[in-house]
Amino acid sequence: MRPEIVMLALAVGACTWAFRALPFRFDLTGLTPEGWLSRLLAATGPAAIAALCAVSVLPLVQGAAPPTPLGAGLGAVIGLWVWRRSVVLATLGGALAYGAVFAL
Amino acid sequence: MGEARAQFGQGVVAGLPVVLGYFPIAFSFGVAASRAGFSAAEATAFSLIVYSGAAQFLAVALLAAGTPLLVAGFTLVAMGVRHLAYGPALMKHAGQGRTRRAWIWAFGLTDEVFGVALGDLARGRRFSEAFMAGLGLAAYLAWVSGSWAGALAGGGALAAYPAVEAGLGFMLPALFLALLLSILSRRQMPVILIAAGVTLGVTLAVSATAGILAGMLAGALTGALRRATA
Repeated sequence: MRPEIVMLALAVGACTWAFRALPFRFDLTGLTPEGWLSRLLAATGPAAIAALCAVSVLPLVQGAAPPTPLGAGLGAVIGLWVWRRSVVLATLGGALAYGAVFAL
Repeated sequence: MGEARAQFGQGVVAGLPVVLGYFPIAFSFGVAASRAGFSAAEATAFSLIVYSGAAQFLAVALLAAGTPLLVAGFTLVAMGVRHLAYGPALMKHAGQGRTRRAWIWAFGLTDEVFGVALGDLARGRRFSEAFMAGLGLAAYLAWVSGSWAGALAGGGALAAYPAVEAGLGFMLPALFLALLLSILSRRQMPVILIAAGVTLGVTLAVSATAGILAGMLAGALTGALRRATA
């Protein structure tokens, strides 16, 4: 195993664990909801996900993916999310729809 | 002890839908990691240690694109900040003093595990650390075994099945789109629009890595400054 890969995994894994576990140790509900730190923390996650979503979809709409499977995949993700409110189901359903229409 | 064991078992059962969903997504992570040059041991170690699907897919994409390790690390850590919101939401149901072992089971507090736990609590289940441990462990084992299987199958394993390969290739955009839908709210809309807009602009002008960083910073600053300038 490459040491730099293990180091990256350890650093990211430790931070992810800290983000998940520390709120149980230190009650973050004490932070002022209107304080800038609360707002920065609340906005960082949505900003990261929006950035990653934009970057992952951009190559597809630029022509890297055939339009019909792409439309079916995106439609399935949105439809399943609206129907069941499940990230896993929407992800799997979107991939399944993309692959199925691709095969036709 | 019997009560804790029963709660643990109920957690495992409650986690079965997550298990069924996680295995194929983790399999596609293993395939993607193998395709990007990760060994099976490296891909499995990533799942064992990091255990965050979105961060892991992104790590593979960043490292394959030659992104410097520090930049990749910063981006991946920033992605995980959203998990800070899960603890306080569960604490409301748990009450003080009933999360003594949270430092162990919170390792498995992924988006979906949090969603299942919160759903069960909303339907009247009493909070239990043993239930959280069972739920989290079932999902974790599915994630790690799926990654391992995908990495062993390797990048070329699906060459004979182009439709399956195409579907798995769509898994990452589908995952990020689903995650985006899950956090969509009127309050966060300016943050999301600014982050996506800046990301697209900088990606087209410079590179995807610069676009992600610029978009994340712009979105986070929008959230921090919004009320002050309103």
